[in-house]
Amino acid sequence: MRFFDPHIHVTSRTTDDLEAMAAAGVRGIIEPAFWVGQPRTRVGSFIDYFSSLLGWERFRASQFGIAHFCAIGLNSKEANNESLAREVLSLLPRFALKEGVVAVGEIGYDEITDAEERAYEHQLQFAKDHDMVVMVHSPHRDKKRGIIRSLEVAKNVGVPMEKLVIDHNNEETVEDTLNAGAWAAFTIYPHTKMGSERMVEIVKKYGPERIIVDSSADWGVSDPLSVPKTAKLMLERGVDAKAVELTTWQNALDAYGQSGQIDVDALLSKPAIDQTQLFSDNSVLRGQEPRVEEAVPN
Amino acid sequence: MSTRPLIEAFLDRRLLPAAQQWLRDASAEIATGPDHGRFASLISLASRHAKRDALDPDAGEIAAAGAALEGWNPERWTVLETLRVALVLVRPDLSDETGAAALEEAFRYADEGELCALYRSLAHLPAPERFAWRAGEGCRTNMVSVFEAVVLDTPYPARCFDDLPWRQAVIKCVFVGAPLWRLWGLDDRLSPELARMALDLADERRSAGRDVQHELWLCLGAHGGERGVESLERELQGSNTIGRRAAAYALARAGETARLERFLAEEGDAGVADSMRDALAGNTSQEAFRALDPRLQGAS
Repeated sequence: MRFFDPHIHVTSRTTDDLEAMAAAGVRGIIEPAFWVGQPRTRVGSFIDYFSSLLGWERFRASQFGIAHFCAIGLNSKEANNESLAREVLSLLPRFALKEGVVAVGEIGYDEITDAEERAYEHQLQFAKDHDMVVMVHSPHRDKKRGIIRSLEVAKNVGVPMEKLVIDHNNEETVEDTLNAGAWAAFTIYPHTKMGSERMVEIVKKYGPERIIVDSSADWGVSDPLSVPKTAKLMLERGVDAKAVELTTWQNALDAYGQSGQIDVDALLSKPAIDQTQLFSDNSVLRGQEPRVEEAVPN
Repeated sequence: MSTRPLIEAFLDRRLLPAAQQWLRDASAEIATGPDHGRFASLISLASRHAKRDALDPDAGEIAAAGAALEGWNPERWTVLETLRVALVLVRPDLSDETGAAALEEAFRYADEGELCALYRSLAHLPAPERFAWRAGEGCRTNMVSVFEAVVLDTPYPARCFDDLPWRQAVIKCVFVGAPLWRLWGLDDRLSPELARMALDLADERRSAGRDVQHELWLCLGAHGGERGVESLERELQGSNTIGRRAAAYALARAGETARLERFLAEEGDAGVADSMRDALAGNTSQEAFRALDPRLQGAS
């Protein structure tokens, strides 16, 4: 099978992970801009971070036959440093309109503060003005209220619901998200957000429409193979193969493909890796024989 | 001679009408002197109007390019890169501080595709040596696509690099597998120091039990001395066919034709013998290595 993981922070992952993802059938990924584990203190750190998502990380993924797209935005935690946040928001037009940027994201609420709301509204307006998709991070604490508020504010700004993806849903929030008309993404995390088994039950209960599975793998305990592993479990537990394909491939492409930045035909064609084209001295290959024309197995 | 009319003619033949209209509108906007941020945004937005398809110039276009700017070969440009270079060249202030500052800002916020296009534009600018530090930054990249855009198929490095960055660029081509024969002006800037660096690298590779990159032998020219000849003889006695073919050319480039003839007399591999005969017939410029380029169809 082939998979699209529409939320993964691969900048925090190793080449072992990229290799394992490619071997498991992950053809494409979206890396949304987020918090890097501790607060940044200068706008220049954001410039370099956004640049790395559009440059080095895309290049690195390509060496393993994985198409890398990204979302650009100011995350909710750092929205609370308001003077820095203003500078970062002014960078949006510099980065969010570049080739391969499929959404504004991940944005939304953390503690649900006024400062977070101002940054969220500003970015929703930017997305609306430029007809972009929005990837919304939902909070760990007070999640249900955060999601309801995310939906309301987006509606008030005038972002069409079909361009809104609410991420990190769970059993308690899925109905609010789906009923609003937005896409409902689920992050499969070991121990915390949502396990594969619970995901199976959600797809069984609500069906596959507008439901998206992702890994959100990052620098914490997380699993870059969450999407293929969950697909496997869904099939084992009798979920219809078509529903598995929708939730682990097609729905994400339909949602983020609205950006016009994803070449689905290229993703569908047999991915060929020619690392001799890309081999670099301090690059991801360090003396190994480059793999040439090795297809990523289905 | 300005390359701008030629670049615009390339685009005339390839862009769809809507994209041509966008280029006219964007050019008109750039002529009015927008702020640096807007200029950089237009460079970004070009991706909405042209794709990374190969420019695929015909022989006439390649010849015209070389005639307009010696050392420029658009063979591996994309249509999107060409569109972005056209946007750079439309600036009326490229000779001034403001034009240079706008370009520097575009570089600072560029993604990988934009970097390639911006670096490709450097040789086309007035007083291109002003951007030598920036081009050096480009050489320090880990993205091979960007590195190649800085140094290959352009007169920029040979014309504008000091000796140290020049030698680093040459050796990095070998190191990362960028086709060194495309480094314009290589044959005119060979040196004993470059040959020493190349021979040290060959020793490193052999100590590690790895084949020597065949294009490393391009770096010797007539500067390898006795050590160079010994290293080439060792290569010719080895089993790496492409390396042996390259070493044959390198022996001829070093003026060691009598030695090469002795090898030819005993050569059992038809392909290697062909390369030896070709080299002995005087085909010894860096261009001879095009036939050995594994990326080009028909190369062995």
